[in-house]
Amino acid sequence: MTLSTSDLQKLSWQARLDILDMIYKNDGHFGGPLSCLDILISIYFSGIFNFSKNKPSVKDDNFILSAGHLAPALYTVLAHKGYFPKKRLDTFSHFKSPLQSHASTSITGVLYSSGCLGQGLSFASGLALADLHDKKKRTTLCLTTDAEHQEGQIWEAIIFAAKYKLKNLINIVDRNMYQIDGSTEDVMPLGDLAGKYIRFGWTVKEVDGHDYRKLAKIFELSKQSDYPTCIIAHTTFAKGVPFAHYDYTYHDVKNLDDNFYKLAKQEIAKHLN
Amino acid sequence: MPNTSIRASFGATLTKLAKTNKNIFVVNVDLKSSLHLNEFALSYPKRFIEVGVAEANATAIAAGLAKSGKTVFLTSFACFSPAINWAVIKQSICYQNLNVKVIGSHSGLMSGSLGATHQMLEDIALTRCLPNMEVFSPADSIETGKIISAVTRTKKPCYIRLVRPDTPVFFPPRLSFTIGKSQLLSTGKDLTIIFHGPIGYQAVDLINSGWTKANKISIDLVNASSIKPLDQKTIITSAKKTKAVIVLEDHQKIGGLGEAVTSLLLQNTISTKFIHLAVDNQFGQSAKDYQKLYNFYSLGPDQLKSAIKKITK
Repeated sequence: MTLSTSDLQKLSWQARLDILDMIYKNDGHFGGPLSCLDILISIYFSGIFNFSKNKPSVKDDNFILSAGHLAPALYTVLAHKGYFPKKRLDTFSHFKSPLQSHASTSITGVLYSSGCLGQGLSFASGLALADLHDKKKRTTLCLTTDAEHQEGQIWEAIIFAAKYKLKNLINIVDRNMYQIDGSTEDVMPLGDLAGKYIRFGWTVKEVDGHDYRKLAKIFELSKQSDYPTCIIAHTTFAKGVPFAHYDYTYHDVKNLDDNFYKLAKQEIAKHLN
Repeated sequence: MPNTSIRASFGATLTKLAKTNKNIFVVNVDLKSSLHLNEFALSYPKRFIEVGVAEANATAIAAGLAKSGKTVFLTSFACFSPAINWAVIKQSICYQNLNVKVIGSHSGLMSGSLGATHQMLEDIALTRCLPNMEVFSPADSIETGKIISAVTRTKKPCYIRLVRPDTPVFFPPRLSFTIGKSQLLSTGKDLTIIFHGPIGYQAVDLINSGWTKANKISIDLVNASSIKPLDQKTIITSAKKTKAVIVLEDHQKIGGLGEAVTSLLLQNTISTKFIHLAVDNQFGQSAKDYQKLYNFYSLGPDQLKSAIKKITK
């Protein structure tokens, strides 16, 4: 299933509404899921990677969500992919729901249960290594956050992937610049993230993480790299809800007030008309 | 009793199994020689993954390989794995229920001269609390081989506790190892001694030397190498019979086998005398001869004799 750029954009605004509803009804993480959403839609719907419709297949490419709190975005994308009914999004984080608040393999299409930051890139490296060993032509994609790079384990994985020349591994960093307590550059500066990856032996690309054309181009190029690829996707925190943009207090929200919900819905709906 | 190396038995067994089982991978953290994996690495270089001194990373890489269908042995010292990487074991191995065998060598006071940082006395506590995780502690080199073979036939995660020095061989070769089963190394009516790991040789010595016979004490000696799942039936039956239980282990009292046994007995309303010989809320220290440490931390043969006399009085 390959969608045109305008279809992808339309899907993204619909998905933003779904995420808003999910968080309004159930609480949860907000700014991050909205910033990474276009990246996820591009991965699953642009046709560059192999992700079957309606049901995952063993032939699919691998996608690992390292930052489990971005689950609302992943669940929404998987629902739109047809892996489970969209109605189920209403049960996000409910008792006995497979839609756990942090991404969990209890729901179809999630390959790795995450929640504690910093482990996913290592796990993805293990998958990529196994594929190289077994001569499987498959790409392993991993989505990490910028703040997650404050975890030492990420850097352990980065040197490992370089050593084993995991050319089938792509790590996309959602560079939205914010984390729970504030700006990443205040909490613990990441500085020249691209330069660091380059020095560690990776192919590095920087891209506007909301631009479907550019994302597609970068993904195509990444598949041809002889080295592991890091894509630093510059995104807007809480993208789509302008009055929450760049406001770190919307990292995760409880009891989103009715007025916020109404105004946010209006903002998103503008793009769907 | 001749002393042999548990680590050498581990390395040799795994290398042998890997010859026919092409699914076996090793993820190593710069401890290849120590874990006797040189031959494995030479014979199967593509299945020997060297991650360097990075336990957390190695753990999630092992999990990723296991997700792809491999049987993965994550090899390190117990003080590093399952210690430094515990949260990664929890999330990336146990929560996903993946086929990774965590091998922790140098456990217990037995690692001797390396001192408190390396004498891992908390590994059983850290691993037996994890859902999906099984926990094994071989008594000697013979049982090590049997346990390594047995775990490659399952797809479950487990932790296997190894020790540094050469240790006495006392596991009867005719006996087999079965997950969830313990073995009775002697049978009696006065006392149940339950142990895991090579420290059990001290109890075997007391029986073989004639000390227990001279003192007219007959013993059910239980090798609880399968710490989780625990052989509940054997332990309950024996405790009901003897009404006197000693648990002997080279581990902290808190979180060790002794607590697993007391919990089991209490939940089954079994009233018994009980002594737990284990490290009591202390750190270890260096000593070339670990026997000195056993004596100092009240785990030695004399303390075992005193405990036996006290409990059977």
